[in-house]
Amino acid sequence: MSDDYPSLLRSEQMSLVQLFVPTEVAHDTVAELGELGNVQFKDLNPNVNPFQRSFVGEIRRVDEMGRRVRFFSTQIEQEKDVVPIRPLYDSAPLIAVGPRAPQAMDELDVTLAAHEQRLTQMNETYQKLSERTKELIEARHVLRETAVFFDKAQDHQTDIRTSFDDSSAPLLQHDDRENQYSLGTSVQFDLEFVAGTIERVRVPTFERVLWRVLRGNLYMNHTDIVEPFVDPVTGAETRKNVFIIFAHGDALLAKIRKVAESMGATLYPIDANADKRSESLREVEGRLEDLQNVLYNTGSSRRTELTKIGESLRSWQDVVRKEKLIYETLNLFNFDVRRKTLIAEGWVPTRDITTIQLALRHATEESGTSVPPILHELRTQKTPPTFNRTNKFTEGFQTIMDSYGVASYQEVNPGLFAVITFPFLFAVMFGDIGHGFIIFVAALYMILAERKLARVDLGEIMGQFFYGRYIILLMGLFSMYTGLMYNDIFSKSLHIWHSAWDFPSNTTDTKLVGIDNGHRYSFGLDPGWHGADNNLVFVNSYKMKMSVVLGVIHMTFALCLQFPNHLKFKRPIDIYANFIPQMIFLQSIFGYLVICILYKWSVDWSNATTQPPSLLNMLISMFLSPGKVDPSEQLYAGQPFVQVVLLLLAAICVPWLLITKPYLAWKDMHKIKEQGYVSISGEGDGNGIHRNSSDEVLEGEEEGNGRDIAEDGDDGEHEQHDFGEVVIHQVIHTIEFCLGCISHTASYLRLWALSLAHAQLSEVLWSMTLEAWLEPNGVFDWIVLIVMGVFWFVLTVFILCLMEGLSAFLHALRLHWVEANSKHFEGGGYAFTPLTFANPDSKE
Amino acid sequence: MPSVLPILFVLVIALGLMACAALFTPKGPQQVLIRTSLMLALAACYLMWMVTYLAQLHPLIGTPARTI
Repeated sequence: MSDDYPSLLRSEQMSLVQLFVPTEVAHDTVAELGELGNVQFKDLNPNVNPFQRSFVGEIRRVDEMGRRVRFFSTQIEQEKDVVPIRPLYDSAPLIAVGPRAPQAMDELDVTLAAHEQRLTQMNETYQKLSERTKELIEARHVLRETAVFFDKAQDHQTDIRTSFDDSSAPLLQHDDRENQYSLGTSVQFDLEFVAGTIERVRVPTFERVLWRVLRGNLYMNHTDIVEPFVDPVTGAETRKNVFIIFAHGDALLAKIRKVAESMGATLYPIDANADKRSESLREVEGRLEDLQNVLYNTGSSRRTELTKIGESLRSWQDVVRKEKLIYETLNLFNFDVRRKTLIAEGWVPTRDITTIQLALRHATEESGTSVPPILHELRTQKTPPTFNRTNKFTEGFQTIMDSYGVASYQEVNPGLFAVITFPFLFAVMFGDIGHGFIIFVAALYMILAERKLARVDLGEIMGQFFYGRYIILLMGLFSMYTGLMYNDIFSKSLHIWHSAWDFPSNTTDTKLVGIDNGHRYSFGLDPGWHGADNNLVFVNSYKMKMSVVLGVIHMTFALCLQFPNHLKFKRPIDIYANFIPQMIFLQSIFGYLVICILYKWSVDWSNATTQPPSLLNMLISMFLSPGKVDPSEQLYAGQPFVQVVLLLLAAICVPWLLITKPYLAWKDMHKIKEQGYVSISGEGDGNGIHRNSSDEVLEGEEEGNGRDIAEDGDDGEHEQHDFGEVVIHQVIHTIEFCLGCISHTASYLRLWALSLAHAQLSEVLWSMTLEAWLEPNGVFDWIVLIVMGVFWFVLTVFILCLMEGLSAFLHALRLHWVEANSKHFEGGGYAFTPLTFANPDSKE
Repeated sequence: MPSVLPILFVLVIALGLMACAALFTPKGPQQVLIRTSLMLALAACYLMWMVTYLAQLHPLIGTPARTI
């Protein structure tokens, strides 16, 4: 009916094309085709080592550029203050195609190398300067603290000297007394100490080791340095202490120095003279100030450099990525040395061949050469990839169905029907007008803000929700409809039409019983049931039966999808051997059940002669005691006979399904054997292995018979008519189908289960939060009402919409994947992955 | 007097709408999609309504009872 356009019903028709591309225009051609995103190239050099391919050199160069670009990107990310990066849609484009392309690439290479060199140099300088700064700060601390020590010691010294004539005071013992005396009262401490810094955690160990090594012949003092040192590279903080150790004797001092160095302490030369110390302190502080200045300048020039890089970073990343893809694709081509051309093979959708022709011509014009690439269609026996052209609406649905398996080429695509059946089955499990409205509005927002949201990096979770915004929209829409059917809006009922039940208002009984007034509620569940004690009894029965009805109808529909497949692939045998017995089996048992359900509902049992029979018992006794139906529990006249017939039909279908196909395959085999072997490669179907070039060449040269270069031989082309395999396959298929019928029908009861859970959760939430506070008297009540209201809304969104929504999504998807797809889906295809420059996970 | 007639009546309406969708969807690249979606949606919605209406036609459970 609609052969003008390919539809979502099947994969689009794909053709294998051959491209003859002159070398000069090769790069630009691939660039153009990449922008189009319509061609899936085949690897024509599968046996060639990646290091031996023709364009390895170019790829290496591009890789080097890529590494540099990544380096810049990490450097920018590490900056504490954010460096602005100009997004791609705002950047000036870099011309990478055309006659100027090689120059542009060379320039880019040089620019990137220069930036990298400058940046690494600045980084190194910065690091060196930081280390130097750290050392100077430590030195300053040491100087300060040791000054304190010496001052204290000086006081002690004067004390000691005044109190003892003997100048052999233990701590301040000094060998060279002459020095002491000659310089008068000023105290000389001639290098009998070691000063430095050490990490705070090591101090006790240090002390202990020194004590043991020197047998106590030392005096050590240490203080904390208050500010921690920050390592410039890693940012880790270390706390250090200043220590000063007094000892006498060169040997001891040497030992102290060795121990100190082994424990990772840094030693600083401190002069004993106070004046010299203050001089060094001043010097250190001066140098520190200079260093800080230089550091600051380096930092700011680094920032300017990074900002300049940030201006073009995205366009560089883009060019590098595209070039890499182009050269990788060029590596797949076959280089024909004689004619100086590259030969490419690939799959394209047949519809797009004209667009590709135009693109090729465009590429030739851009590059300025006069020899255009030539496109050539080939005939082949190989299976093309499966391609379903989707737009932003159908994309989500197709993806979720493809996740189960990619459809075989030209098989009926379940994604087309999932557009409606998936949201519908979701809605049956979710049915609530209010919740449906919430998710509908959320999806509507995402759709209206599509353009803006598509550019932003939403993160993984929100990105998924955004990707499925149209699915969520339909889910919300259908949920509002099923909410109307279940008459449930935030766990309350609507009373729009005339209810069927009147409740007497002036009764003294504790029980209110409804009276049938002859009306029937037009759309949905009667609000008379809301709040009734036997509400769940009725609603459960209704929902369970509805689930079975919907389930059997969905499965029948899915089974019918087998029929177009058999027609398309010209397998009439399958229609008689598979489709018809399956259909009869399904309908004779479960179709019968559905009809009984509907019939039982349509009978007015208050005026009937028999009691309403239990359908479950009826079905079970149909199997256990066929032909015998208790007359008082009869559903309709003639029931035993009908049930026996149906049972026999179902019973015949099993061997029918099991035996027919293997028998026919066996007959075929015998026929071939009788005719003698014609050819080894299973030519039972009479098709040759000819590969002619197509007559539909749309342009240019005819090269006689162009052959499909990548001839993979006969693997995968012809089915092996291994009889054993056919039998096993058919046995599995039969068992799977027959048992599956029963289990899948029961599986559809999840439609009931989830909708029950949803309704109950909704009711509990209402009764636990808002119900008690609906008549506020006074300020406190009002405040609590508002708080409870907010609480109720938050929980509604997060638990009832999000959590239940995800759960219903999952179950609806499972129903599609397992129950429906197992009835018709073959799923042996591979997806069409064209060369495309559109980057799905670009961060801009 | 509750009867089965509304079901048949609405069935006719639904079938009519489905036929309209089948015949009058404008040709174009989305024709199959729109047609399939409309027909499926109509069928699904009718089914659900039909089952709901039918289930309440002659209630088997009896009448709703409330304790106050």
